[in-house]
Amino acid sequence: MQTAFDESIEVEFRNVSKGFRLAEGRTLREFLPALFRGNGFTEPFYAVRDVNLQIRRGETVGLIGRNGCGKSTTLKLIAGVTAPSIGDVYVAGRVSPLIELGAGFHGDLTGRENVHMNGSILGMSSKDVDRQFNDIVDFAELWDFIDTPVKRYSSGMYIRLAFAVAVHAEPEILLVDEVLSVGDAFFQEKCIERMHQFQREGTTIVVVSHATQLLSEFCQRVIWMDHGHVIADGPAAEIVRQYAATVPHHQEAAV
Amino acid sequence: MRNVPSHLIAFWGRRDLLWHMTIRHLRGQYKQSALGWAWAFVNPLTQMLILSFVFSKILRVPSEDVPYPLFVFVGLVPWMFFSNGIGSATDSVTGAASLVTKVYFPREILPTAAVNTKLVDLAFGLIILAGMMVYYGYPPEATALWFPVIFVVQFTFTLGLSLPLAALNLYFHDVRFLVAQTLFLWYFLTPVLYPVDMIPQQYRWIFDINPMAIVIHAYRRVILHGDAPDIGRLAIGFAISLVIFLLGYYAFKKMEPGFADSI
Repeated sequence: MQTAFDESIEVEFRNVSKGFRLAEGRTLREFLPALFRGNGFTEPFYAVRDVNLQIRRGETVGLIGRNGCGKSTTLKLIAGVTAPSIGDVYVAGRVSPLIELGAGFHGDLTGRENVHMNGSILGMSSKDVDRQFNDIVDFAELWDFIDTPVKRYSSGMYIRLAFAVAVHAEPEILLVDEVLSVGDAFFQEKCIERMHQFQREGTTIVVVSHATQLLSEFCQRVIWMDHGHVIADGPAAEIVRQYAATVPHHQEAAV
Repeated sequence: MRNVPSHLIAFWGRRDLLWHMTIRHLRGQYKQSALGWAWAFVNPLTQMLILSFVFSKILRVPSEDVPYPLFVFVGLVPWMFFSNGIGSATDSVTGAASLVTKVYFPREILPTAAVNTKLVDLAFGLIILAGMMVYYGYPPEATALWFPVIFVVQFTFTLGLSLPLAALNLYFHDVRFLVAQTLFLWYFLTPVLYPVDMIPQQYRWIFDINPMAIVIHAYRRVILHGDAPDIGRLAIGFAISLVIFLLGYYAFKKMEPGFADSI
């Protein structure tokens, strides 16, 4: 990976394609005969095709498109979880993914222990977590249950704690994948408020959502993807309008 | 291979996470079992009793002029670290699917944490061993201080094998069965149950290149016999272990970018 020439560019995709092999044998017994027959390696399916994009520091960018258009794969490429099959992905800052919150939680550990655990997964040092601990629990409003194993938590409590840790991980790039649709209205309000604060602080944010209302209010720019291609990239309101026009019986999805 | 040092530095930078992952593994280990941590004592003790009965009373295997239970236990405890460490590490990345597909961190943390978890069992084993040494009237001598040095060789070797196996297990789920089978055979080809002296000369080379044979022989010398380890052999063992570790780490990092796609 080369570094971008322009210092203000935080994320850059250069001719990026990402292929997955769908019908791959998972045991040697399936794989070896297939290899002899000459079809051990099936044609990959491309979830992202020849994508070029640049995201500048401090930008809030929305990704929109139908299911399977490559939005989530794009987020995974930015998060560094998966590598491009072709092309280069360049990411300059510390990424904090808010993808399916709580992935790092362990049911048998208490809320307190999970805060330390999850913070550390997101790249915080033990000192960072100690320093932020009170703010995290305040934000999650979970002081009464912080020493309870999280398997006893309701799903709402779970999400609150996970969101609280993720937003305190001091990310330079925040990735948000449909997570704002969970939790009650009060907590949603709080999350949106916190995201605005990130915007003011100059954090780069990439949001995946079907909620066109949210995207047009929250993002400066929206990228519309279809079948792995970027088909439109521009000011949020305009792209959202174009996209909405293609959706039959368009409804404003909830936040 | 050029990237290995920078990968190792990044790995070291995430040692907080390694610590948390180790704790997480430990919590899961004896969870929901009635005896809990007592298993860490019960398991090696019962093995030692049965093995002593079979190999000392029935088969009458010699044991370097040391009571057989003591002799076998000094080999058994490190072997269990090796065998259980590799077994647990092999499943460590596959078992963390929800993490691996969501957030990046150096993936070698997972197998390393799995191996580290077995340090606790090892410590319990050593406590039992100390008790047995008192019971049989073989108080440890100063040479037992060599233990950590020998253990470094063993740990390097264990982790070096664990890394590529954990990665390969993602691509082929057969690996875990292959590992279990290989460890079973390897156990008999390592002088855990019998002394090295019993091995006929023409087969000695098998043991000379087996780091587990080298370390178990060394443990017995320093713990039971009050001798210094054979430095030449230990150096060979360390060299082999280091090469295995570097190759294993390199292979792991080579496969790492495909992990999330293969889970």
